[in-house]
Amino acid sequence: MKAPSLGEFEELVLLIVAAQHDSAYGVSILEGLEKQLNKKVNISAIHVALKRMEEKGFVKSRFGGITSDRGGRRKKFYVITAFGKQALDLQYDVRTELYKKIPEISFR
Amino acid sequence: MIPPPPSLALKFLRWFCRADYLDEVEGDLIEIYELQYLRTPSSAKRKFIWTVVRHFRPEFIKAFSQNSNTTTMLNNNLKIAWRHLIKQKMYSAIKIGGFALGIAACLLITLFVKDELKYDQHYTNKDQIFRLVFEFEGEGAWVWFPAPTAKALISDFPEIEKAGRLLNAESFGAGTSEIQINDDAQIFHESGFTYADHELLEILEIDFIKGDSRSALTQPNTIVISEEKAKKFFPKEDPIGQTIVMKNNARGGPFTITGVVQLKEASHFQYDFFMTLTGVELWPGEQDFWNATNYHTYFKVHPNTNIKQLEDKLDQITKKYFAPAWVAAGDQGVEEESKKVSYHMQPVSDIHLYNEEIVDNLNHGDIRFVWIFSAVALFILLIAAINFINLSTARSANRALEVGLRKTVGSSRGTLINQFLTESFVFSFIAFVVALCLASLLLPYFNTLSGKALALPLAEWWFLPGLFGTCLLLGILAGFYPALYLSSFKPINTLKGNLSKGSKSSGLRSTLVVFQFTTSIVLIIATFIIHRQMSFILNKDLGFDKNQVLMIQGTNTLGDQSITFKNELLNLAGVENVSISDYLPVAGTMRDNNAFHKEGMRGKENPILGQIWKVDANYINTMGMNLIDGRNFNADMISDSLSLIINQKMADAMGFENPVGQRIQHFSRLKTVIGVIDNFHFESMKDEIRPLCLAVGSNSATTSVKMQTEDIAGTITSIERIWKQFAPNQEIRYSFLDDRFALMYQDVQRMGTILSSFSVLAIVVACLGLFALSAFMVEQRTKEISIRLVLGASLSHIFQLLTSNFLKLVAISILIAAPMAYYFMDQWLADYTYRTTLGWDVFIISSGLVILIAIGTVGYQSVKAGLISPTENLRG
Repeated sequence: MKAPSLGEFEELVLLIVAAQHDSAYGVSILEGLEKQLNKKVNISAIHVALKRMEEKGFVKSRFGGITSDRGGRRKKFYVITAFGKQALDLQYDVRTELYKKIPEISFR
Repeated sequence: MIPPPPSLALKFLRWFCRADYLDEVEGDLIEIYELQYLRTPSSAKRKFIWTVVRHFRPEFIKAFSQNSNTTTMLNNNLKIAWRHLIKQKMYSAIKIGGFALGIAACLLITLFVKDELKYDQHYTNKDQIFRLVFEFEGEGAWVWFPAPTAKALISDFPEIEKAGRLLNAESFGAGTSEIQINDDAQIFHESGFTYADHELLEILEIDFIKGDSRSALTQPNTIVISEEKAKKFFPKEDPIGQTIVMKNNARGGPFTITGVVQLKEASHFQYDFFMTLTGVELWPGEQDFWNATNYHTYFKVHPNTNIKQLEDKLDQITKKYFAPAWVAAGDQGVEEESKKVSYHMQPVSDIHLYNEEIVDNLNHGDIRFVWIFSAVALFILLIAAINFINLSTARSANRALEVGLRKTVGSSRGTLINQFLTESFVFSFIAFVVALCLASLLLPYFNTLSGKALALPLAEWWFLPGLFGTCLLLGILAGFYPALYLSSFKPINTLKGNLSKGSKSSGLRSTLVVFQFTTSIVLIIATFIIHRQMSFILNKDLGFDKNQVLMIQGTNTLGDQSITFKNELLNLAGVENVSISDYLPVAGTMRDNNAFHKEGMRGKENPILGQIWKVDANYINTMGMNLIDGRNFNADMISDSLSLIINQKMADAMGFENPVGQRIQHFSRLKTVIGVIDNFHFESMKDEIRPLCLAVGSNSATTSVKMQTEDIAGTITSIERIWKQFAPNQEIRYSFLDDRFALMYQDVQRMGTILSSFSVLAIVVACLGLFALSAFMVEQRTKEISIRLVLGASLSHIFQLLTSNFLKLVAISILIAAPMAYYFMDQWLADYTYRTTLGWDVFIISSGLVILIAIGTVGYQSVKAGLISPTENLRG
């Protein structure tokens, strides 16, 4: 079976999840992303990416406790799995490998 | 303080979102909303709603079926329905097949009816557009008016905004003609010529593709042609400014084309060439002459006109215009006659369907056909629905245990009704799918039957939803009674096995079977009688011989050569006689209207209205008419130009004892009767034969050739060869007299074939039901039958035992149906002056046929039951 693919946007979300280890949830990911990318992102896209990656086994989730914030709704925290880290590594290796192959070009 | 997020959006989110995602999604959304509110309060709500909408996608939407009680039940019901359908293949097939046939028939007829109702509904001001109708008490109603009528309407009635005339009389050059385009040698035959005012095209909102309705026909000798003809004659050039010459028209042009129009297909108004009426004067002074009625007159009233008042006011026309004209023509009793005249405003949208009493010589639909067909469709559907009800209730015993058990474990009656309704819906749905396939297969056949070009409007937005809605409705209607009946069983009875096995025929079931057969029998009798009237018409002694007569059109273009042409034809082997005349005893040929008086009585007595046909000396023999007194015309006698041959009717109307030698006054000319012919039919048999004279005339467009040969094809080839010598630039065009005759009764024929198809369908569906019902009865009584056989019953006993019940029902149906059919068909035949008799034989034959079919259907089952060895059935 082919290894599950990791889309570009999914990769970004996964990186943020990994970076915010154990404290990543929808809104924090959104903020992190917007800060990094310097553009507006819709939360629905993040939710979709998270669901997909959870299905693929790149992340796993747990619920936080109930607080009076957020209309009494629980947060859902995400952490990267070993499999997810492996996918990230693979992606990173491929990119660096290819990057190294760029000949020295000077742009004046 | 931050206000709560929009509640409606939140509710929507909670409704559609998967429960296991809701915490996360809703929480995140609210958190973002609050953050957003702190930054830009104005757009926070909008953004919240937008984000909710963005979440409305498959990943987040819950699977509604998984956790809803109703859907689970629905799934279960569908499953049960399917199992029953599969388990009882024959009964299911009959239920569905019958239903599908009924629905397909209904569908086709609905298309037909819809098409008929569409006629002339497209005008933006259709409530303001009328056709003027003249009614003369005791004589009937018609649409022809004098030329100045339109002018008078405008000047005398301020309510009338516009009036326009149409002149489509063949005798003035409308109708068909041989034409030439510009100066080409090629001659074409074309039909659909008419004269029209440009106001008429405006009133009827004719679409102009080139030119416009205000100016197109304002100059003399201008013509407007249809798009179809423009494409035919000017595929590349611009038709505007080209000319057309009409060979058959004394005012034949050249006409300059000033417009191209597109006519609506669903309209009574169907012509291809509109010649202007500007500058047309049929004879000197005709345009102000009130004693000749040739023009159809249409008009448009101002909005909000009181129609009833205007209609009453129109009576002034008689006093102001007609009465003086009649007095001037020497008419006696103008006072009396004026009282009999009235005028009607026929709405343009009524012309196609509501025209039975008004004579206008156009092709019409008939609202009665629309009603009859709708009724037939409805009855076939009812018959099919009854099959459904009967089979479902009859087989109740097989479901009784199921019902009992379900109730015992807690099912309510409502749930059971739901279940049975779902089942009937499944049946009706499958039937609809089958019906749709059937209908599209049968559509070409139905189109030939009905003479229409119908298509299933699959692409229309309303069609499939509409069909689905009807399907749901029918499923519920047909399943309602069985559902109530089946769900009413008491569990204690069913589980004990007390319930009757459904072998007794219940009262309702019998009634329904009687209804089915009554309907079928009425249809069958109606079909028989229509066919009988048709064969009566086709085989009646018409007073002329319509067989082997070829009518060659367009001989007027031969000019003086036509006599030579005629003589050449007479020399051919196989040709018995040849006559040149446009007046032929079939509809659609030349007609006129004239007034005749006895000698010297003009201006003293009311005229006898009749026709005067221009014929030649060969006419009577070519047509095989019967000269009962006097002599035929003689081509060599010049004095015959003032001679007449009259029909018996004319002789009677004139009151002649010895007609030969009497003189008849035709306007100012006196003519001598030299012969009398037997009455012959020259109009539809709906009307009586009217007075008629034959006179010598020439310059006609039709040459009739009477053949007497075995080799018709060979003779026609020879005729064509001669034609080519005379008219190398013109295709020969001919038809057979008997074909043209049959065409006159096409609507009856059509009605007959459609009705017979549908009555066959009705009886098939009814018999399907009977077949299944009897099969079921036999199945229930197998043991009983076996025991009877063992005890010595013969096959005929068994046969009698099983069929007598059904035959009783069929007999009752016949008793009900016969008088009904008699009544309806007597009404229908009342239209015809010359009609067949309603003999008992029709009823006996139809009843016999139905009984035979019923016995065949039920008998098959009983014989099958009687032939099985009893040991097999009793062993189990």
